[in-house]
Amino acid sequence: MSYRQRRRFFWIMFLGGLAVVALAAALSATTLSKLRFAELAQKSTAVARLRCLSAVSRWENGEIWTETRFEVLETEKGLLPGLVSVRMLGGHVEGLHSRVEGVPVFRPGEEVYLFLWGRAGEPFSVLGWSQGTFRIAQNPETGAETVTQDSAAMPVFDPQKQHFRRDGIRNWPVVLFQEKLRGALMQRRW
Amino acid sequence: MQTKARKFFATALASLYGLCFAPLAQAYAFNELIPDVRQPASVSGGSACPVKAHRLTAAGSITERWSTALGTAPVTIITLDQTPTGRLNEIEQVITTALGVWTGVSGTTLLPASLAPLTRVAAATSCGSDGVNSICFDQSDSAFTPGVLAFTRVITADKIGTQLGSGPAATQFGQILDADVYFNPSDSQVTFATPTALPANQKAYDLESILTHELGHSFGFSHSAVWNAMMYPFAPAPGTITGTRPSIQQPDAPLGDDDRTGLRVLYPDPADTVHTGSIAGRIVPANPLSLPGAPPGVTGIFGSHVVAVDSTSGAVIGATIGGWSCAAPGPAQFDGSYKIDRLPVGHSYTIYAESLNGVVDPSQVSDATATLCRNSTTDPGWPPLQGCVVPAVNASFTTRTRPGP
Repeated sequence: MSYRQRRRFFWIMFLGGLAVVALAAALSATTLSKLRFAELAQKSTAVARLRCLSAVSRWENGEIWTETRFEVLETEKGLLPGLVSVRMLGGHVEGLHSRVEGVPVFRPGEEVYLFLWGRAGEPFSVLGWSQGTFRIAQNPETGAETVTQDSAAMPVFDPQKQHFRRDGIRNWPVVLFQEKLRGALMQRRW
Repeated sequence: MQTKARKFFATALASLYGLCFAPLAQAYAFNELIPDVRQPASVSGGSACPVKAHRLTAAGSITERWSTALGTAPVTIITLDQTPTGRLNEIEQVITTALGVWTGVSGTTLLPASLAPLTRVAAATSCGSDGVNSICFDQSDSAFTPGVLAFTRVITADKIGTQLGSGPAATQFGQILDADVYFNPSDSQVTFATPTALPANQKAYDLESILTHELGHSFGFSHSAVWNAMMYPFAPAPGTITGTRPSIQQPDAPLGDDDRTGLRVLYPDPADTVHTGSIAGRIVPANPLSLPGAPPGVTGIFGSHVVAVDSTSGAVIGATIGGWSCAAPGPAQFDGSYKIDRLPVGHSYTIYAESLNGVVDPSQVSDATATLCRNSTTDPGWPPLQGCVVPAVNASFTTRTRPGP
């Protein structure tokens, strides 16, 4: 790759990055239909910052389900006890791997904001699956926390335009995310 | 072959206000798993290297049935023909066409003859972990939440002999034992229209596009982040379709090149003389001290997307998530390796390598990176020498290139 090509490439990368901030495109999903942030806030049963404690997969009603237990750290919507369980389709039991693309998987110790959804008498699920999952990362050096939506984790390469684009919430400082969340819960237009 | 393999080297990336602007692309990806090496080698193969989930492709080995039960309250499947028989025939044509999209790709062993005749079943609740591949349009499932249109649940065996329901026992590692497609039957805001009904129902999703995508999962695909790929996770907006409609001349027309390459990697045809090119290399940091200290043994950048773009057409021909390699008996080595296979020969390619983002958990981006390791923590009794820990994605790099030798 020549210097000129390289320079062009880096410009594409830079502009692609800027596009992240500029774009909040409305897309619909194949397994998922696009839920705007305000819709997530509106349709969720509860919204909370949670810490994953454990995850167990088991057979239930003819399918493999994974039940993940969370400690509730901060409740933004709804009434939640100190511990909640979230049940999602898929998991690993006795030599069988059941997988559904788009279903979030959680690891003990990680912290997330989840938009929870539940029918009466059923365990919580995550609203819109990857769309309702916002993972929190902490910079080990500064301690600063950022939030990234699962469905925004994959920037998209556009073969025609030869550049990348991203949608959704990605690497937002947690304070900004909280502000957006609370604004949406108050039904303010963001 | 004029393919130019280029080496990439990484340098530290300065992030801007905490936002990492490095773009990345994930092209085709697979549902992968690690055989259970706690079992005897006769049933586990003895290797802890990841294997791709796949179906058997011998003649007539891929069975598929569909439930003719269609929701009435609400009506979610819209057809042009409103007669009971006509509706079913129209839907069945969509299923047949969608299967044909995948069996229409050249250079694979997934052939039209691989498919057993499509069958019908009357029960609405025909989907379940029973070893029978089913498509259901009116089966409620508590996995659905608002915003979920359809999904495919794939069950794969990690050792030979595993059996599910009435299905045959697994004869290969990573064999898909059951893949069921569920369409959301109970959201009154969501409808799916057949190709003939779509023009008059612009608020409906294209049934053929969504089913083709879901069947891609049933053949072993994960999601792709290439805009025009069938396995791109987001469906076309209501009233529109993915790619172009298939035709007799080009049954795989809806697919992107990325999908085709992925299928050739999943189901390679030994007789294929066109798609035999590969590009391989390593992504390593300019400063080795920038590599993570834990887990031990990381010698290259992990968690990078390497994309091969046809220099002439600009099409994304294939890509991979780089950063690791594995040779039997495993486990995976995090040495920065990448390899893109089944590329058409006689073309020139430009390679892009991009970092994932630091806050991105591997499981967010691809199950492929999240399932590279098993160990005694994840699986009690796992042999220590075949265990590993997936390192954190290395995000702090940008790439520069230098000409190959």
